[in-house]
Amino acid sequence: MAEISFPLPDLGEGLIEATVLDWLVEPGQQVERNQAIVELETTKSALELPSPQAGKVVRIHGAPGDTINVGEPLIVFEVPDDTAGIVGTVPKDEAPKRRVRLSAVLDED
Amino acid sequence: MMTGRHTMEQHRHTVEGTDPGLFVEVHEPATDAGLRPVLLIHGFSSSTKLNWVDSGWITTLQDAGRRVITVDLPGHGRSHSPEDLDSYTPSRIRADLLQIATDAGARPLRDGDPSTGLDVIGYSLGSRLAWEFGATQPDLVHRIVLGGPSSADPLAAFDLAAAQRHLADGTPIEDASTAGLLKMAQMLPSNNLFAMLSLIEAIKGEPFDPAEAAPHTPLLLVAGEKDERAATMPELASIAGKRGGMVETLVIPGRTHTNVITSRAFKEAAVQFLGV
Repeated sequence: MAEISFPLPDLGEGLIEATVLDWLVEPGQQVERNQAIVELETTKSALELPSPQAGKVVRIHGAPGDTINVGEPLIVFEVPDDTAGIVGTVPKDEAPKRRVRLSAVLDED
Repeated sequence: MMTGRHTMEQHRHTVEGTDPGLFVEVHEPATDAGLRPVLLIHGFSSSTKLNWVDSGWITTLQDAGRRVITVDLPGHGRSHSPEDLDSYTPSRIRADLLQIATDAGARPLRDGDPSTGLDVIGYSLGSRLAWEFGATQPDLVHRIVLGGPSSADPLAAFDLAAAQRHLADGTPIEDASTAGLLKMAQMLPSNNLFAMLSLIEAIKGEPFDPAEAAPHTPLLLVAGEKDERAATMPELASIAGKRGGMVETLVIPGRTHTNVITSRAFKEAAVQFLGV
């Protein structure tokens, strides 16, 4: 198994950080791609972030009330080794319709 | 996740002789529960995208099998910003909403047919509009959910002269509510500031008076525990209760006026309340 870490994505509108309101998933949970994973608040609005990845949640970063900067770690998934390499390619399931997307960086741990 | 069919249209129907230029979308569920459509009305200086799409409401309602009608208010989101003040009056907006709901297929309520009528969810300014819409369209509106509702009208109390002075030469605005609302109006590049101020001016001409026309339909009122603007929610509940309508209230712990919108408890309560 491999781990894939996703940072807080660029939320647009010049926003540089977001505050965690509530996590909608927890470590050990299997999530689908595009499933809402966390509620965030920015200086402009509150929003839900869809999961960029199907897989098992290994770690989440930030408790409710914590502020996370764009680019800082947000969530880590465990995925089978043979799918870890295809991050960044177009997935087989339906493409996300949301404008906000997460991009992957491989976990350095 | 179910996304369903998704149609978009620029609203073309004229109302009282003019095209309101409002951006309307109808969001179809993957599996239709056979219930009446749900009309969503967003708040001041927000939009369908910010208030309902990014916050997860559309997918929540679609997953519950509901067909959803959204509209950007005049001067907001992808709607036009008309120059005439009349386009921004609450009464004109309500007339536009009625035309939009009818065009989207909402039909008058008929006993025993759950596909007839219209459910309405409003947020903040949208709650005020939903309250009045429900009061004036009893043959159409089935149930109403109001988020961050207030019996007061912060937009009618807005100090327009102070805001205009501030915009002209930077004179500080004394009234904190006015300063906060102007900051909100300036925050989103997609919202036209002239239109925001026109809307405020139009609302000052038709301030919210919840007792003048109150809905008789079942109401669910929802606010964050830390929502100062919704501190008057019990008054609204009392007014509607006296008209004989069923009223439920829900306070979401820890949430404010702004961030109650993404709350799971809010969404689940709304889906359940409207799912009859």
